[in-house]
Amino acid sequence: MSFVQFMAWLEGSALGHVMRDNGVWFYGIINLTHILGVATLFGSVVILDLRLLGFWTDAPLAAISRPTTRMAAVGFGIAAVTGAGLLATKATEYVGNPFLYIKIPVIGLALLNVFLVHRSSAWRAHKNRELTYTERRRLAAMGGTSLFFWLTSIGAGRMIGYW
Amino acid sequence: MRLNTIVLAAAISIASIIPAFAHHGWGGNVDEVTALTGMVTEGVKLAGPHGTMKIMTSDRMVWDITLAPPFRTQSAGLRQDTIPVGAIVTVHGQRNRDPNRLEMKTIQVEYAGKQYNVYPEFVDKVR
Repeated sequence: MSFVQFMAWLEGSALGHVMRDNGVWFYGIINLTHILGVATLFGSVVILDLRLLGFWTDAPLAAISRPTTRMAAVGFGIAAVTGAGLLATKATEYVGNPFLYIKIPVIGLALLNVFLVHRSSAWRAHKNRELTYTERRRLAAMGGTSLFFWLTSIGAGRMIGYW
Repeated sequence: MRLNTIVLAAAISIASIIPAFAHHGWGGNVDEVTALTGMVTEGVKLAGPHGTMKIMTSDRMVWDITLAPPFRTQSAGLRQDTIPVGAIVTVHGQRNRDPNRLEMKTIQVEYAGKQYNVYPEFVDKVR
């Protein structure tokens, strides 16, 4: 299945029909929910990433990492489901939109970074003990990477409608 | 910590440039209001950020007609079942700045002797 075929399938899917057949406010409400999801995701990520980069070192990392990672996951879930709906409304119209072609792979990279952070020994260690300088440096690098990927995907996502 | 504050301030300044060109308006369309007459090939759809339809002009070009947001389009009297596919309509609006994109942002739709002003505030631009 090519990308164009996939987009046509998505537009014709049950999700596409739900998005189109529920009145003049439905798309707007899903759009609002998408923004709330993104705000929850990024609001959490930015606190955690800045902490990893060296802000607010007087607050224990473990105290910050628990609520931020959970809320980021909740925000991502909301944004992913509503985002699929927004795309499905008229999926074929977004074929050739360069901002979509930036956004989707960069979300993939951001999620890969999440996976790598959680797999790292430094991340696993921070819940039980003070981190060494090298471990903090490693987490700071991944925190900066995370900020860059999420900002890029949000920036590209916002621009989709202006192409 | 002072350096961090400077870095954060710089990042916020850079990020704040982004909204400056994020203007979802008429900027992507030419200023001149023109008319297009054609046959409806895809009826009015009140879904997504804007209402849409497609018309084919006499030179067999299919145009994307962008209407107002769904609620405004409906409030102007233009519902999904108002104009049947195959009907002849005239739309007044501003075409896309890119000459290769057959898209018109519409102010008024004329059908069967009736005028639907989806953007009534711009209707004085329609001649």
